[in-house]
Amino acid sequence: MSDRIYFDNSATTPLDPRVTKAMEPYFAGIFGNPSSLHWAGREARAAIDQARQQVADLFNAHPKEIIFTASGTESDNLALIGVIEGLGQRENHLITSAIEHPAILETTRYLERQGVEVTYLDVDGDGLVDPNDLQKALRPTTRLVSIMAANNVVGTLQPITELARITHEHGALFHTDAVQAVGKIPLNVKTQPIDLLSLSAHKLHGPKGVGALYVRSGVSIKPLVHGGGQERGLRSATENVAGLVGLGQTAEIARAEMSDEASRLVQLRDQLIETITTILPNTYLIGHRYRRLPGHVCLGLAGQEGEAIKLLLALDEAGIAISTGSACSAHQGSEPSYILRAMGFDLIRARGSLRITLGRFNTAAEVDRFLIVLPQIAADLRPITSRHFVAA
Amino acid sequence: MLTPTKPITVDDLPGLNCGLCGLRTCHEMADRLATQPEFIERCIHLSNNHISIATPQIATGPTIMAAPHVVETCGGCTVNERVTVQSKLAPSWCDTLGREFDFYLEHFPEEPGPREIMLPHNPLLTREMNIQPGDILIGRPLGMSCGCPITHCGIAMEVDPRTGVIVWCVTGPLHPRQKGFKDLGYYIAEGYEGLITQTRVEVKIGMRYFFQPRMCMLQWRHSGLVNFMNHTPGGLQVRLEGLWIG
Repeated sequence: MSDRIYFDNSATTPLDPRVTKAMEPYFAGIFGNPSSLHWAGREARAAIDQARQQVADLFNAHPKEIIFTASGTESDNLALIGVIEGLGQRENHLITSAIEHPAILETTRYLERQGVEVTYLDVDGDGLVDPNDLQKALRPTTRLVSIMAANNVVGTLQPITELARITHEHGALFHTDAVQAVGKIPLNVKTQPIDLLSLSAHKLHGPKGVGALYVRSGVSIKPLVHGGGQERGLRSATENVAGLVGLGQTAEIARAEMSDEASRLVQLRDQLIETITTILPNTYLIGHRYRRLPGHVCLGLAGQEGEAIKLLLALDEAGIAISTGSACSAHQGSEPSYILRAMGFDLIRARGSLRITLGRFNTAAEVDRFLIVLPQIAADLRPITSRHFVAA
Repeated sequence: MLTPTKPITVDDLPGLNCGLCGLRTCHEMADRLATQPEFIERCIHLSNNHISIATPQIATGPTIMAAPHVVETCGGCTVNERVTVQSKLAPSWCDTLGREFDFYLEHFPEEPGPREIMLPHNPLLTREMNIQPGDILIGRPLGMSCGCPITHCGIAMEVDPRTGVIVWCVTGPLHPRQKGFKDLGYYIAEGYEGLITQTRVEVKIGMRYFFQPRMCMLQWRHSGLVNFMNHTPGGLQVRLEGLWIG
């Protein structure tokens, strides 16, 4: 394991050993159903209550405002469908951006089929939504605005405070898919007028299969999953106690370490950006230079976009895991293209990005090694032009 | 929004100690600003970098703005039907550059990807690299073979060591990631074989057509000459040679 480097933390993250340790008792000795009234149930209930408090503390919410789910995707579905169905209005208009995660875009497509009108806001070349565009898109029937806090492919941080404020002034609700952002940037629902917020544990060194939706007190939503009435009737199903304990521990660690961790990752990120764009002059940064997730680097390869696959594979052979949007197969390559295309990239460049995302367990030594290996591998790439290609 | 026209003190900073500027605290930021006022650009909460008017640094070539939806996955389409001309489900018959084409070329459903007949630019590589059926290969089709700018990945299906010709199925990068690969460098795409299940014209042997390989990641039309046809329950089996993109 020591010679392998994992730089794909936006895809998922390794479990923090502290989280593993916190979860262990709930795989063995503590097994009760939290809905049971006896001692076994009470033990499990106490663990869930603690996890709910830990998650709420991460963005200054009240524990009663946290609904546990099985994923960020489920949280997004519950937020959008739950709000629209909960309104019971005949005419509903929803606004989102063109670069949301499929968990949002596929849900809005579903809602469109149900008769909801949806506006997809464009983004600029850095992937940012312009608040003025949101202002112009609002209609009397606009019920909900959903803009992601941070983009998963390019790492750009949206001005969600301003977007949420504009939404609130209009009288609509604001949801943010914060799966990539929670625990990495400060979020505070007391100072930011966010009504709903989706998160997932596994993006933050927690377990897979656990997520949550923050629903501001007073906001009415309808459940997607019906049954025994868990999670205040909004998400029935016996709770994944061990997973939720893991989520809670994940949130607590992130809250305690966010500032130190963010500054450390920003320094490593900036070292990567500055070194790579210097030693490989045909590379260029995609997304905003500073308004981006702390450990997130998205690079283009001017004139060599089609070789992104080869670079990815060669790095993989060297034990380095990164991600690319390039793939001569729609099975692998569909996701990034619509985001980069929305940012104005042509079809080839929209496929040729490299995503390097750092996490808690990445070290400066790993970055140094990557920066030695990358130029050696990049030297082997075949340019689409025989002339030296320099980014404009 | 701050402009560094007067010294910025820690009281002017948001006090979030978020670390997103690369420093741990706003106090450290204030110290840095005393000598580097331009460092304020790194504070995402205060700087004027909320919205840029930036466009991609490289924007040559055709730019196609986003459709507001996730791009449709185009692989794995059902082909268990006879070829239909101008089906009700037929698309616009235009590629992503707005150019018309005549039919979609689907891959054989029992195979892992589109079947391509290719020749390494140095055909001796087939022997030197001991290419065998089942090997995972990568390479980029160059020149008269198509001129595709994208490196392809796939699985060798048939190998002719005498001529160097390889028949492979293009699969995307998953197999190479899992199993390792042999890099052919440049190759010439000599032909495609596949099924036609949707066409807007009658396909005849000996004729050249514009067609859209269903799995082409750029969704650019190709052209080629049909030199083999066979009606099958799954559709019209064809072989196309003399390939060009466009």
